[in-house]
Amino acid sequence: MKWIYKPVLALAIAALLGSVQPAAAHHSGAGFNSGKIIELKGTIKEFQFKNPHTWIQVLVDDGTGKITEWSLEWGSPNQLGRMGYRPSTFPAGAKVTVRLNPVRNGEPAGGFIAAKFEDGTTIGRWDDKVSPSAATP
Amino acid sequence: MRASLIALTAGLLLVSGLSYGQGRGEQIPSYTPTVTAFDKLPDWSGAWQMVGGTVFDRATQTGQGGAIDAGVREHPPYNAEWEAIYQKNLARRDKNQFPDVFTNCGVPAGFPRMFNLPDPYEFAIRPEESWILSENGPNVMRIYTDGRKHLPDQWETYTGDSVGHWEGDTLVFATIGLKGSRDGDSILDRTGLVLSDKSHGTTRIRKVNDNTLEVVMTIEDSKALTKPWVVTKQFRKLPVGTRLYDYGCAENNRNPVDEKTGKTLLLGPNGKPLNIN
Repeated sequence: MKWIYKPVLALAIAALLGSVQPAAAHHSGAGFNSGKIIELKGTIKEFQFKNPHTWIQVLVDDGTGKITEWSLEWGSPNQLGRMGYRPSTFPAGAKVTVRLNPVRNGEPAGGFIAAKFEDGTTIGRWDDKVSPSAATP
Repeated sequence: MRASLIALTAGLLLVSGLSYGQGRGEQIPSYTPTVTAFDKLPDWSGAWQMVGGTVFDRATQTGQGGAIDAGVREHPPYNAEWEAIYQKNLARRDKNQFPDVFTNCGVPAGFPRMFNLPDPYEFAIRPEESWILSENGPNVMRIYTDGRKHLPDQWETYTGDSVGHWEGDTLVFATIGLKGSRDGDSILDRTGLVLSDKSHGTTRIRKVNDNTLEVVMTIEDSKALTKPWVVTKQFRKLPVGTRLYDYGCAENNRNPVDEKTGKTLLLGPNGKPLNIN
């Protein structure tokens, strides 16, 4: 299930400025659509806690049994490690809801914003005040 | 037979020695080391983070982050020829065809980009030499403060050669021998800001308060600039106990540059590009 919502521009800018910006250190973030936030429910396949950027690999069922592997780019492991995150932050097999700025061409990838685990634990800049306003398959 | 072989070997060594000897400068020019006593040096210990973004001229910043401020900031005083080069680079940037050379991993930031990086820094100072270490890259800049001079025939590198001295609590040094953008693999930021192989700089670093280091660079470039370009960067002190780590850029680089298009790719889990741009 994929939820798409379009927050006001100010919210998007605030999210970008306030969050860890994975693209800031190593490459341009032009490929990510910073004006769109997607929410996905899936299962952690792997957390690549490696330089120059970490990648969260999430397996997402589209509801018909088709599984797609999404690649979510986050900050450098050094940057995240100083913030208290570890390779164990996203354990393989964990059920998770993630929010991201998707790439512009619709491929299953994007810039990580936040995540919520089944027990309610959140990672990154999770904001419960933001609600999905539209849904797409 | 054996004597002939020895003679032949000796001859070859002589020839090779002559060829290697051509163009050889002084190995280590003589000088009398003079240093500032260690107890006279300031305390720059700990980890430091550059304040602000990594784009010198924020008026050119579009896309992610947006144009934060209107107007021109830190825009080098280019002559017409180099302003045209910069504008051409900006246009390529706008088409996502001007990749940051860092994206390929492996080249140093060089000077002055050394002072324009994200992630923490360390400033290690000793009477005879200081080292500026950036986690990002990683990069190291060596500044000799023991009275030595630049080599008279210094060749060009990314970071160049820096010699200096202490003026009270201020480290002052000159940097020469910079390759600039000559080989197309050194830029100042990802907007495409560049300098030439005639660039050189004078830098002053001092602690303006307990939590702030200030770096003022005066950059001259007879090929690209109409007058000296003065750039100020500040660094804030990070919490005590902050650690720095490896920056293995090639460890898991999923954003290589497509050599044909100049676009930055995003590799999917199978290693194939997702062609994001």
